[in-house]
Amino acid sequence: METALAWVEGTGMASAVRDSLGLTASLSAIHLVGVTLVGGGALVAGLRYGGLIFADQSLGAVARPAGRAILLGLTISVVTGVLLVSPRASAAAANRFFQLKMLCLLGAAACDVFVRRRGYAVPGRFATSTGLIRSVLYGAVLAAGCAFILLE
Amino acid sequence: MSVPDIAVWLESTAVATLVRESAWGFPIVVAIHIVGITLSVGMIMWFDLRLLGVVLRESPVSRVYRGIIPWAATGFTLMFVSGGMLLAAYATAAHGNVYFRAKLVALALAGLNALVYHRLAERHRAAWDEHARPPLAARAAGLASITVWTVVILAGRMMSYTMF
Repeated sequence: METALAWVEGTGMASAVRDSLGLTASLSAIHLVGVTLVGGGALVAGLRYGGLIFADQSLGAVARPAGRAILLGLTISVVTGVLLVSPRASAAAANRFFQLKMLCLLGAAACDVFVRRRGYAVPGRFATSTGLIRSVLYGAVLAAGCAFILLE
Repeated sequence: MSVPDIAVWLESTAVATLVRESAWGFPIVVAIHIVGITLSVGMIMWFDLRLLGVVLRESPVSRVYRGIIPWAATGFTLMFVSGGMLLAAYATAAHGNVYFRAKLVALALAGLNALVYHRLAERHRAAWDEHARPPLAARAAGLASITVWTVVILAGRMMSYTMF
């Protein structure tokens, strides 16, 4: 693991990010746009699963576009996030807030896969709970991400 | 009183000192600001996408608006209060920062866009409220809103890398 992280830190991509404040700032700005897409999608889907918003709409009518927004946001934030972390991969991997962020992200992604496969078609109690847990986990990703960048 | 004088005065206020000098003030206020942005822009984006006829096409525009506005308003309140505190703490640096100016312009455009939408496009909303694809003016307002809020986020994040 340490060897892999050291290799990442030594790549040309990591060097380019490390040596350019403009590139780091741009990546961070785009990362936040991705995070906003994920946050908005997760919040709307979570509120719909909880019956707090758009109750007149079917679960699928809200959860499908929310899922697409989350997927687009995740793609943007994961790509930019990997680039941002690459110059300090070892330090990030050892950081507890970063570990928590990744753990919540994996949990949320697992819930995402579940609701995509079954949640839209079978809006039962289990699918609803999974949808709500997914939204809470994405909220935790946001909180842990804030803690990581601000308290590092 | 000139703008630089106001900036100096803002930095001398108790709130500004608290944010700038306390160990936890800055990280907590920035975190609230980011949560506020995610909540407000993340929610308002859904209304914009409905205006564009991309999502929730079966739901009337007015119902989508009523659904998202309490959450978006909460996010905007968090964003503006925390943003005001951050601005007070670093007003002098912000005043000279090009991204801060870009953010202010984008915020003004977002406000203007909302005002124009409510005054003009929304006036005849009853006629198109349930249309899957609202008229051009409403779609233009939705697209403009997504664009300017994206600029607000991008410029805001660039500020933190260029101000200090």
